Amino acid sequence: MILESESRVNTQENNPEYSQRMAEFEARIARGEKIEAGDWMPEAYRKQLIRMISQHAHSEVVGMLPEGAWITHAPNLRRKMVLIAKVQDEAGHGQYLYHAAETLGVAREELVAALLEGRAKYSSIFNYPTLNWADVGMIGWLVDGAAIRNQTMLARCSYGPYSRAMVRICSEETFHHRQGKEMITHYAQGSQVQHDMAQDALNRWWWPTLMMLGPHDADSPNTGQLIRWGIKTKTNDEVRQEFIAETAPELIGCGLTIPDLELRFDSESGKWLHGPIDWEHFWQVVKGNGPMNKERLATRQKAHSEGQWVREAMVAYAEKEGKIADGYAMAAF
Amino acid sequence: MDTQWPRFEVFKQDAPNQPYQNVGTVHASDGEMALLNARDVYGRRPNCHSLWVAPERAILKVTAEELGNAQIQQKIAEARMLASSELLQNYYVFQKVSQKRTMTFVNYVGGVQAASPRQALALALDRFSQAEVWVWWICPAEVVAASEPGVEDSWFAPALEKVYRQQSYYGKVTRKRRDERLQIAQQMSQPQAQTKNEVSK
Repeated sequence: MILESESRVNTQENNPEYSQRMAEFEARIARGEKIEAGDWMPEAYRKQLIRMISQHAHSEVVGMLPEGAWITHAPNLRRKMVLIAKVQDEAGHGQYLYHAAETLGVAREELVAALLEGRAKYSSIFNYPTLNWADVGMIGWLVDGAAIRNQTMLARCSYGPYSRAMVRICSEETFHHRQGKEMITHYAQGSQVQHDMAQDALNRWWWPTLMMLGPHDADSPNTGQLIRWGIKTKTNDEVRQEFIAETAPELIGCGLTIPDLELRFDSESGKWLHGPIDWEHFWQVVKGNGPMNKERLATRQKAHSEGQWVREAMVAYAEKEGKIADGYAMAAF
Repeated sequence: MDTQWPRFEVFKQDAPNQPYQNVGTVHASDGEMALLNARDVYGRRPNCHSLWVAPERAILKVTAEELGNAQIQQKIAEARMLASSELLQNYYVFQKVSQKRTMTFVNYVGGVQAASPRQALALALDRFSQAEVWVWWICPAEVVAASEPGVEDSWFAPALEKVYRQQSYYGKVTRKRRDERLQIAQQMSQPQAQTKNEVSK
């Protein structure tokens, strides 16, 4: 709970008291202490976190849709149970993240409204269609694999609630990655039809996965400050390089071909070099012109409006029973 | 304004005799529904033995940094002086005592009887300050809803059976060893090298 007099200090950048608080804040981060709700933080830190965490939460929620579409088409009961469990996890991850954002003083209602009205962003990767069953496995291997790389980095975030959500998510996400890899490895080494299905999925998901890790460092003006404040601990290009170094040899090792003729390993630098990423395409998808943007948003809007009567009915019932939580006295200083 | 219901803090106990630990919040219209949502959101994986939920707004939360604030110290000092003739209530005390990377936040450490949440905090500061405490939470016991004893089988045991939720279930798909990956990488030092893998149509 921030006192009135203190919250004003947040915005007075020329105030000597502000400079001192900022120095203390940065020293705490340098010592590896987590910043918790209630601790002093610069307004820009709070805003960056709300932006990042809410986009991340929306991505988990929208991320249920591409794979959810395949639940009723799973080829056997085992794969179906695995897929249901995975999609349910994504719903849970969205909840963990909305929770982390709410510790910063925003309401989930505001964040969800921004998503439904098209004002908020979510990961570009979920605006592509899932055209064949192997897409489910490829999303697990590539998209969840890339997300784990990013989230392992974010688990070291200086903001306590975001860090804790990431630790929990990473531990669950590892199963998503493994089941995808198991499925694709199986198909890549299976019948010709299975192999072709896996290759087709790789052809469509490889580039969007590289893009989802964000613009090149030279085009990410905020990265310096995000790293200084311990919100991120690695740059986009560093995470992308880690992802390729882990994933490319394994894809090639199971007999698949990565759709990048320029991809090669540079023995001197020990780094993977890839062909140019089509950023024009990436920004088009981010701006709402990807293959599935409209459909994804329409699906969320429909789910939200069709659930409205349930939300209202539950509140009416709790009020009638005298159990509504808004009725409790607010504890504060 | 759309309502997605008030927030409840969720405390999870992994096993009997383990402390209840804060894992996050859920939105719910009342405590009973908060428990059901908490079970779905935070009990999908073992181990969970019991859950507590409490309305977020009823919990007094204060960080070590805030305790250094003179105004807050003054208010705690005033609360400490409250007459003990006031009606006493039970409060649960929670603490964050570590800066280690973890998925849980504050742990339950014990209870106090006090006339107000601030007085409960004052008493907790006296009684539970053995470790360096980064965050204190004071929660009135009367607002806590708990999962009933005996629901473990129906609420939490099924998570044990869903072994396919565990990464170990896919143990045979281990990461390639570093040297194996490096070997493939070395073969890929020419851009066209990959084409030998091309599927023959």
